[in-house]
Amino acid sequence: MKSQFWKERIYPVVFMVAVTAVFISVVSGIYLSTRDMVKLNESLFLKRAVLYVADITVPVKGAAVDKVYRSRVRERLDSEGLINHFEILEDNVISGYVVFAGGPGLWGEIEAVIGFTETRDKLTGVEFIKQNETPGLGARIAEEWFKEQFRGKMGPFVLVPESTAEGEKELDAITGATRTSNFVLEIINQSLEDIKEGEWPKPR
Amino acid sequence: MAKAKVKKVFLDPLGKQNPVFAQVLGICSTLAVTNVLKNTLVMTMGVVFVTALSNFTVSLLRKVIPSRVRMMVETLIIASYVIIVEIALKAFVPDIWRQLGPYVGLIITNCIIMGRAEAFALSNPPGISLVDGLASGIGYAYVLLVIAFFRELMGSGTIWGYQVMGSWWTNWSIMVMPPGAFFMLAVFIWIVKGLLLTNEEKKS
Repeated sequence: MKSQFWKERIYPVVFMVAVTAVFISVVSGIYLSTRDMVKLNESLFLKRAVLYVADITVPVKGAAVDKVYRSRVRERLDSEGLINHFEILEDNVISGYVVFAGGPGLWGEIEAVIGFTETRDKLTGVEFIKQNETPGLGARIAEEWFKEQFRGKMGPFVLVPESTAEGEKELDAITGATRTSNFVLEIINQSLEDIKEGEWPKPR
Repeated sequence: MAKAKVKKVFLDPLGKQNPVFAQVLGICSTLAVTNVLKNTLVMTMGVVFVTALSNFTVSLLRKVIPSRVRMMVETLIIASYVIIVEIALKAFVPDIWRQLGPYVGLIITNCIIMGRAEAFALSNPPGISLVDGLASGIGYAYVLLVIAFFRELMGSGTIWGYQVMGSWWTNWSIMVMPPGAFFMLAVFIWIVKGLLLTNEEKKS
């Protein structure tokens, strides 16, 4: 009787706890041993994005990215220690700014960094740093041709069918990803308003 | 381990016992990730790794797992391996990890993995279970890669991201969207089953 109680009730619980402890330790160990690498990857990714939207040639190697970033970019923190915006320097004089922007996408939040000139009258670039749009459709916002079309323009933008955009205000939408295109349009146009009014869209 | 048995265990999931076209398992991921070849390859390699090792681990523990909690233990083992895959991608190939987004985590819910643990690993020794898991993963992987090849080719005119179709080609947007996967999968099952059936008729 007693042995059956142990076998049916206690043993499964003890076994489950033990097995969980072992697996959690292994996974945590692997997580901790790669944590620094992941952090480094993320900060490098953001640095590349900032340089890209500031229209500065992004080096391929990580160390070179760091070097260019240190000489050309100054991070401006808010009172809580988060990055409020980036100042882009040319011969130690501010030539432009880079800010964060974000909003809802089709499957999850879309976050972008937006660069513009010191006089706030032209975009220098846009890069999407977080998006979960449909691969092959909405995720094409991360493709070069889509991002490049913001450079040198200053909206507010309107969407036109893919590869028909002309002039300052028109933006190529993505065929088959109308909703993603609309979400992106909203994020960019909203940020443009903030930029023109002299505000910083969204600290991070 | 008889050689003939190993051979059978390895070859069955590639052919007439294939998890995708014979057992019709793991269909959700077949629909979700197969529109771009690169993502499909990374995702299916993850599945091969997880199926093989989870089968091996479940089999090692098969004599001590209380039958009452066996599914919890299997899920725990599978989830641990998937998280390890995700951490590895994040640390070593962050760009691909960013593109795959939530799909890697969803490997946990792939019913092929749980199915093999339940149907095979619980009643067979570790060595042959590893072979079974490996073969099931490969059986799943090659079907998805074939589907992805045609979806990317017809949906985007590219293979592995490189443009292969000329300017005369109009992309079939539907191939990139989930319905395209339904069509491709159905056509694939139709052709393969047709071939298998004719072969069996010839034999009898």
